[in-house]
Amino acid sequence: MLLGPALAFSALLFSIGVLGVLIRRNAIVLFMCIELMLNAVNLTFIALAQYHGVGGQLMVFFVMAVAAAEAAVGLAIILAVFRHTTSVDLKTNTLLQG
Amino acid sequence: MNPIDTTTPAGVVLALLPEVVLSLAALGVLVVNAWRHETAEDSRLAGWLSLGGVGAAMVALLWLWGGGASSSGIPQMVALDGYRFFGDFVFLLAAAATIVFSLDYLEREGIRGPEYYTLILLATVGMMLLAGANDLIMVFLGLEVMSVAAYVLAAYDRRSPYSAEAGLKYFLIGAFASGFLLYGIALVYGVTGTTNLVMAGAFFGPGSLPVMASLGLSLLLIGFLFKVSVVPFHMWAPDVYDGAPTPVTGPMATGIKAAGFLALTRMLIVTFPAASPLWQPVLGILAIATMVAGNLMALSQRTVKRMLAYSSVAHAGYLLAAVWTGTLIGAASVLVYLLAYALTSLAAFGLLAALGRGGERDLTADDLAGLAKARPWTAAAFAIVLLSLLGFPGTFGFIGKWMILTSLVVAGQWLIPVVLVLASAVSAGYYLPVIMAMYMKPAREGAPDAPRVPRGAAVAIGAIVAAILVLGVWPPPLLSGTMEIASSLFERAFQ
Repeated sequence: MLLGPALAFSALLFSIGVLGVLIRRNAIVLFMCIELMLNAVNLTFIALAQYHGVGGQLMVFFVMAVAAAEAAVGLAIILAVFRHTTSVDLKTNTLLQG
Repeated sequence: MNPIDTTTPAGVVLALLPEVVLSLAALGVLVVNAWRHETAEDSRLAGWLSLGGVGAAMVALLWLWGGGASSSGIPQMVALDGYRFFGDFVFLLAAAATIVFSLDYLEREGIRGPEYYTLILLATVGMMLLAGANDLIMVFLGLEVMSVAAYVLAAYDRRSPYSAEAGLKYFLIGAFASGFLLYGIALVYGVTGTTNLVMAGAFFGPGSLPVMASLGLSLLLIGFLFKVSVVPFHMWAPDVYDGAPTPVTGPMATGIKAAGFLALTRMLIVTFPAASPLWQPVLGILAIATMVAGNLMALSQRTVKRMLAYSSVAHAGYLLAAVWTGTLIGAASVLVYLLAYALTSLAAFGLLAALGRGGERDLTADDLAGLAKARPWTAAAFAIVLLSLLGFPGTFGFIGKWMILTSLVVAGQWLIPVVLVLASAVSAGYYLPVIMAMYMKPAREGAPDAPRVPRGAAVAIGAIVAAILVLGVWPPPLLSGTMEIASSLFERAFQ
């Protein structure tokens, strides 16, 4: 795998994720964009691990485990919000502000 | 105590003893809850067991700390130095206070589910790992262990739409920030080939950073500044602190912020000391922006809980000013201020939890009118706590601010200290009205009796207030102690 293209591609994926979080207002879509960011970072680690040894690949496993835990907690919280407001749109969930 | 050999499993357990004890306690409480999780009595039992776990971890910590634990020289993932032990000490105190405040609160508000205490213990383990992290992998894992538990705690009051929304906001922003942090770790790893803070610092040496490493540092900073709620990454903090159950707001505003600041300081001093021309201007500007914006926004708040939430943003600004120096006395003042702020803020949220009802979202300063007559001790404690947050001479908060000012002036900086003093003067505009309402206004006609602070919480608050006063009047041992602790950070840093 070529390092340059792999890094460029993961930077692009990461930027798409960030843009998605900033533009979209649906909690589920936001969460998907965050996952995209994490996976872009995973790709970076894999690409770099070719040069620096196994440490980068090890990190990917940690990231995946953490992402799984985050997904479990995040979806449960989104569900809890949905029960109260029957919406996962951040535009309608605005009880707290000011 | 001999240096701990961290190449053996026994050595690793020994080096991580407080964290291991606390994790085991969390699992133990979870197992007990599997059988006993229905009545309020069961919840109380879980609370007392957790408090026992915190006590055991504290004993393990003091044993390690008092024995002068050190490592045998191999680069580790978790540091064995006074800096980590001091952080652990603060987190365990915060956890103990939180558990005591929660015992009666959960019962009163009818929040079911004793797993609450397991989550508090796990969040504390995360804080301890984050503050002790000597490796970027550990920074990430500690941060996530802490945050994932905190997301659940913020949303713990399932019947409250405010709590659920707070949890959602905290989760989305927190995960977003973790993404930045992680990308920063990847880039630093790409340049140096290591994730160890000391080794990466040795790799960078005294020269300027490569472009990719500068980019990595910026992303790491974004991730950290989100977590410690510095302007302009603060917008989530007031909402989350406001919506979460009040006893949870305490550790979120103190422990999590403290862990973030300790890890940030360690990273900047150990790994990026030579890059200070890069990060110092950014941190300086953001510190000023945070002090100004946090205090001004706190002024315009109506409820006490939201006012305290914004004041916590302002305090992040003071702390960031201390981090800005990057010097020994700066690192020591971070420690002093964190202890002062953590104690004071915990007591403030603990008192608020005891005085309010239904999430405390409606409690205004006027609701506290006449408290000095009805409950003189409670009013006195609240007044001392608020004065300490303000930085009034004679309280611990003043020592903390004075220490930060000293470190800034020693570093030859004049603008930031001036802003800090002015911002503190502004903060009087929202702390003092609460005190005036308690002492000078008569209670409103037909207002319900002021609630009594539960006995356990009263003991904890009394101890904290005593500590605030004692350390405020007689701080020399603490100051020299923190200087020594902070120097442990510089010994191993590449200069």
